[in-house]
Amino acid sequence: MELKTVELTKQYGKKKAVNRMSITLTEGVYGLLGANGAGKTTLMRLLCGLQRPTGGRILLDGQGIGRLGEEYRNLLGYLPQGFGYYPDFRAMDFLLYIAALKGLEGKAAERKAWGLLEEVGLSREAKHRIKTFSGGMKQRLGIAQAMLNDPRILILDEPTTGLDPKERVRFRNLISAFSKGRIVILSTHIVSDVEFIAERILVMKSGQIIHCGRPGEITSEIRGQVWECSVPAEHADRYVAELNVSNLRNERDGRTVLRVIAGEKPMGDAKLVEPNLEDLYLYYFQEQSAGRDGGRKGGDIR
Amino acid sequence: MRKLIGFELRKLFGRRLTQAALLAAVLFSALFTFSTYQNKYASYGGRQASGGEAVALDKEIAARYAGELTDEKVQQMMDELAPKSSPQGLNAIYLYQNAMQSAVTARFSDMYGNWNGLRVADVFGEEEIRIGYVDGWIGASRDMEKSFLFLSFVILIMLAPVYSGEYGGVDSLILASRYGRTKCASAKALAGILAAVLVTVGMAACNIGAAYLLYGSDGLDCSILFAPLTLTEGYIPFNITCVALLGYQILLSLTGAVCTAGIGLVLSAACRNPMIAIVASAAVHIVPTLVPVAESSMLFRLLALLPIYQMQFETLMAVGQLAGGTPYAMLALPVGAGFLALGYTVSQRAFAVHQVG
Repeated sequence: MELKTVELTKQYGKKKAVNRMSITLTEGVYGLLGANGAGKTTLMRLLCGLQRPTGGRILLDGQGIGRLGEEYRNLLGYLPQGFGYYPDFRAMDFLLYIAALKGLEGKAAERKAWGLLEEVGLSREAKHRIKTFSGGMKQRLGIAQAMLNDPRILILDEPTTGLDPKERVRFRNLISAFSKGRIVILSTHIVSDVEFIAERILVMKSGQIIHCGRPGEITSEIRGQVWECSVPAEHADRYVAELNVSNLRNERDGRTVLRVIAGEKPMGDAKLVEPNLEDLYLYYFQEQSAGRDGGRKGGDIR
Repeated sequence: MRKLIGFELRKLFGRRLTQAALLAAVLFSALFTFSTYQNKYASYGGRQASGGEAVALDKEIAARYAGELTDEKVQQMMDELAPKSSPQGLNAIYLYQNAMQSAVTARFSDMYGNWNGLRVADVFGEEEIRIGYVDGWIGASRDMEKSFLFLSFVILIMLAPVYSGEYGGVDSLILASRYGRTKCASAKALAGILAAVLVTVGMAACNIGAAYLLYGSDGLDCSILFAPLTLTEGYIPFNITCVALLGYQILLSLTGAVCTAGIGLVLSAACRNPMIAIVASAAVHIVPTLVPVAESSMLFRLLALLPIYQMQFETLMAVGQLAGGTPYAMLALPVGAGFLALGYTVSQRAFAVHQVG
């Protein structure tokens, strides 16, 4: 199975949320990384057919998804950002409703819904109203509804936003468990969510995929540009303001260890370290958050 | 599909606002009925009564003259019922002592309570007028008219979130699912129409049940034309029985409910917020009554076919007749079918193609 976008474009007024994007996705978990406003949600909605592209095409095994219609949607599982639900519905009823929308009815729907509630750890809450659920429980219910039709394409838009670390780990494990034999696209701006489960990382910025690769490979691009340096704690703020700092750790001796992304050695005692995904994320998105050029021109402060 | 319609009906009736609006409609309806019943008044032969006793007294008087209205019966009623004096110069036609007295003096009395010289044929032509106790059922019909008018707004409140309520986030799930754009969109429209019909039938059943308990079956086979003065001015000018009256009323309230549902569904699909949908659909519903147009004009005849007038069936029934004696109001049937088709197709199409924002 191959899901492909060809010159895919979505424009709102003058802003291009997705800009002539051409990607090919096959079975596996794809982590879609990008800052807020990068176009991740628009891309996912386009892939789900919830928005019409301004230009370009989306093809599944060579056929346009618009033409496939129900056949395509039958292969689709979607968990949108800020997943909407009916507060007064009980979890089981909600799943049965979504099952009916997906063409599952009767005993088969009940069996499937019950099985998924057990898998996501909500079987005890099957008869509870959704409005009584915590954020994590709602997200688990969200993944359960997305899985009802055994989708071959699973699209999860920022599924871990607002979850506590324990819930996030649980959620990641669930996605890993469900990912076999499917195309899974998981968008997030929380790097650690995709670091462990994604087979490939797509870095999205300004409506375009600016980088694609395996987590190990993708960080190699900034190898030689990530440094650790120790500075007096009282000067740490100044360095943070002037450098592209991905992490900061206070030591007991009154010094602070900074993790700096810079093209050149930022200070005399700086040591090169192995880059991770968070460094990469910052490398690409620092410009957007701090108005600098992605750490590519890291200054040398001595 | 049945399962989806079931879920949609459950969503519709599960909303607090809908429940509150339906409860208000039932309470208003009960209030109208109770108030009308309690305000009944009758006096005869030195006896004065109100409420249930007045109904019993009116029925007792009506039973004496029940059957076809003849000139002999008119004379007999004028002798026995018409006021013999006109206190303080009041016009005897407008004096109310009991239902049968008011019905006869309104048509056959002069201002002093004497026979005005008119015969039955002069007033009603050659038609056979069956008389009896019609006060109860005509009053119940008028109360039901107010209830249906109120209910039409309840239907708009009820249907406003059918589509617009999904735009808060669940639309992504629905539209990305296999049948979200097809069967689900249809199920929503069908459930909306079904809900409108159900609440209308329920309201009609409650009203008719209550009227039957209060007034019994007396007068159901009698003409609405021989009613007390307060129930005849500006009323439906056809010789139909109370049963036929109720039949027309229920039929028109159903076409009105279906038309109202059509408006509600289209605006629900078009508006992004249920409150906006309520306000917009209520405005569209009311507008025809605000158009400054004389009741004799052609434009009014068209406006009268819109749902708000179908719910106030009296106005529509009073418009006139088509060739062959069919009431003009029956044009509400094709109008209802048109609104139904429009609401069903346009609303689901608008929902299915909308882009999730």
